[in-house]
Amino acid sequence: MSEKKTTHFGYQTVNADEKQGKVAEVFHSVAAKYDVMNDLMSFGIHRLWKRFTMEFTGVRKGDTVLDIAGGTGDLTMKFSDLVGPEGKVVLADINDSMLKVGRDRLLDKGYSGNIECVQANAECLPFEDNSFDVVTMAFGLRNVTDKDQALREFNRVLKPGGRLLVLEFSKTNNPLLKKAYDLYSFTALPFMGKLITNDADSYRYLAESIRMHPGQDELKAMFENAGFANCEYHNLTGGIVALHKGIKP
Amino acid sequence: MDQTVIQGALAAAERTINKALHYDAATAQKLATLAPKVLAIEILQPATTIYVAFGNEMRLMAHYEATPDAKLSGELNAFINLARHEDKHAALMKSDIQIQGSSQLAMGLAEAMSQLNIDFEAMISEFTGPVVAHVVGKNLRRLGNWLKQTGEKIQQDTTEYVRDELQLAPHKLEGESQFMAIGKLKQDAERLEARVQRLAAKIKNAAQ
Repeated sequence: MSEKKTTHFGYQTVNADEKQGKVAEVFHSVAAKYDVMNDLMSFGIHRLWKRFTMEFTGVRKGDTVLDIAGGTGDLTMKFSDLVGPEGKVVLADINDSMLKVGRDRLLDKGYSGNIECVQANAECLPFEDNSFDVVTMAFGLRNVTDKDQALREFNRVLKPGGRLLVLEFSKTNNPLLKKAYDLYSFTALPFMGKLITNDADSYRYLAESIRMHPGQDELKAMFENAGFANCEYHNLTGGIVALHKGIKP
Repeated sequence: MDQTVIQGALAAAERTINKALHYDAATAQKLATLAPKVLAIEILQPATTIYVAFGNEMRLMAHYEATPDAKLSGELNAFINLARHEDKHAALMKSDIQIQGSSQLAMGLAEAMSQLNIDFEAMISEFTGPVVAHVVGKNLRRLGNWLKQTGEKIQQDTTEYVRDELQLAPHKLEGESQFMAIGKLKQDAERLEARVQRLAAKIKNAAQ
C-alpha cells in the first residue's frame, strides 16, 4: 500500500494535496483587507523590503516580468512603470480573490496596457520556456506545497541570463530580536487578524508558516538545486526577511 | 547598517525631492530629459554610494545592477560645499569631486540644481488657500532675504574682526602670496634634492 505524501500547513502536518486548498481558504478570507493588514503587521516596513527587491531586479524598458504570487500588485505597479509600453508585466496568483483585488487596485490606480493578470499555480506555470527576463515572488514561496518544483518552473520560464528574486520571511540569528519577534507573531498578529479581518486563524497560520519555511542557506541550496547560478541572499531587518537571488545560466 | 534603515532614509529623501520638484516644473522637466540615465554619488568617508535614476520622478537607490552612466566621488565635505554653492556647475568644476563617465550627465544635474526654484507659495496654498499663502510667502521671502543678508554681514564682520582687530589671520592677498612663496620654496627644495641625489650617484659611480 502506498503512503500518502505529507507536507506542513503551519505547524500541522497535512496531506500534500490538501495544503493548496487550505492556503486558498486563508487568502480568500484575508484578500479584502490584505493591504491594510500588511501595513499594520509590518508597520509599513514591507514597502521598504519590496523597495530593496526592486533594486536587485535590474529591470529595464522593454523587459518581460512575471510577478508570481503578486497578490495586490505592489511590485507589478513598480515594474509597469519601469518596463514602459514596450515591456510586459504578468501579475500571477493562484488565488482568484487576491487576483481580483490586485486587478481592481491596478485599474483604480490607472495601470493598464502593459499588465496581464493570470491565475496560475507556481508549480505548473502556464508560460512557455525562456519567456521572462525577471521572475519575482514576494511572500509567496512559503505557501507553495512543492517549493523545489516551483523553483524549477521559475527556471524553465526564465530566459537564459534572466533572474529570479524571492523575498520571503526567514530566520534571525539575533536572540533578542527572535524573542521579541516570536512574542509579536504569536500574540499580536492573531489579535490584529481577529480585530481587522475577524480571522485569527489565518494570521496564526502566517506566523507558523514563517517558522516552517527554510532558512537562508537552505533556500539558497534549493535555488542551486533548481539550476540557478550566482545564488546569493541579503538579510533585511536582522534576518526576519531575506531576499534570495539566482541567475538562470 | 541594516538595509531596512537605508531604504527608509532613501524612501524619505526620494519623496521629499519629488515633492519639491513638483513645485518647480522647469527643473523637473530638465531632470526628466536626463532619463534613463543613472548617476552614482560615491561618498568616500563614510563609505556610501547612492544611485540616482532620472525620469519623470527621481529614484534613489542603494544598489544598482548595471554600470551607472556617471560617477561623482569625493569626501562628504566636498558634496556639502557643492550643495551650498549657488552656481553648482562652476563649483563642481573647482571642487575636489572626481567625475567618471558621462561628465555631461553630472553637469546637467549641477545646472538643473543651480536653477532650482521651488514655488513655496504654491506648496502652502494647497493647505491654506491662495490669499493666506501669498501673505505667508511674502513674509517668508522677506525673512529669507534678511537671513541671507544678515548671514553675509556676520561672516564679513567676523572675518574683518579676526584679521584687522585681533590680527590672528593675514589678508587674503597676503595669504595667497605667502602660499605661493611656500609652493616655490617646496619646488626649489625638490629640485635641490634631485640634484643632490644625481651628484651622489655620480660620485658613487666614479668611486667604483
